[in-house]
Amino acid sequence: MKRIEVKLNLDMVAPLLDVMKAAGDDLGHLLAIGLTVPGDDADLKDGWESELLAGQSGDIRQLIGMFDRDFFATGSIAFDPTNCEPILRACSALRLRLREAYLKQVGDESLESNEVPLAEMPEEQRKAYAAYIFLATLQELLVHHLDPNVPED
Amino acid sequence: MRVTEASSRESTQQATATETKLQDVWRVVVLNDPVNLMSYVVMVFKKVFGFDETKARQHMLEVHEQGRSVVWSGLREQAEAYVFTLHQWHLNAVLESDKS
Repeated sequence: MKRIEVKLNLDMVAPLLDVMKAAGDDLGHLLAIGLTVPGDDADLKDGWESELLAGQSGDIRQLIGMFDRDFFATGSIAFDPTNCEPILRACSALRLRLREAYLKQVGDESLESNEVPLAEMPEEQRKAYAAYIFLATLQELLVHHLDPNVPED
Repeated sequence: MRVTEASSRESTQQATATETKLQDVWRVVVLNDPVNLMSYVVMVFKKVFGFDETKARQHMLEVHEQGRSVVWSGLREQAEAYVFTLHQWHLNAVLESDKS
């Protein structure tokens, strides 16, 4: 994979960073997915969970870290072979958390079809939804850059 | 003498039972979730299991339309490793005994 630079609309993306960071903070101590560890071994469960949490936190740090001073100066973020997969995973984790924390009431069918009553949503929920869509767009971009054969959603 | 022979027989039977259990077939099952993109799921399946595009897409559609797909089956240790890796990619995956 080559390095790619993506120019973003600062005015649209900057307001989403707070809700993304809040979701990231939540995921510092809980897993984005419901955990189902095989068997009844408590030690296995603890080890499994802590290793997943460590990986999840590291990935999210990388994603949030992209929106740094350079981003605010240029509006651009860059992907390369070293950060692509962590960013993909982080996007998935944050989207799962955004749905859980802010968007459950909206309904999964509405989320999937993008038929969401934006005008009726409180501002925080609107931002969460915008972040949810933004992260999906990032994921699509990266997946297709990694593998152009994968059909789009 | 007879008690020792009986103990020895029991140990052998237990060891055989354990060995048989470890050889049992386990299934890695991916369950649907309302968030992850289909393209993302296809990518993960290709990466984790080495599926080609067609097979990865087939399993993804099975998850999406039927709620679940058995993506791998084999020995428990490898099955656990796969479930862990799928969890790292935030897919909802569980382990099931082939006997269930």
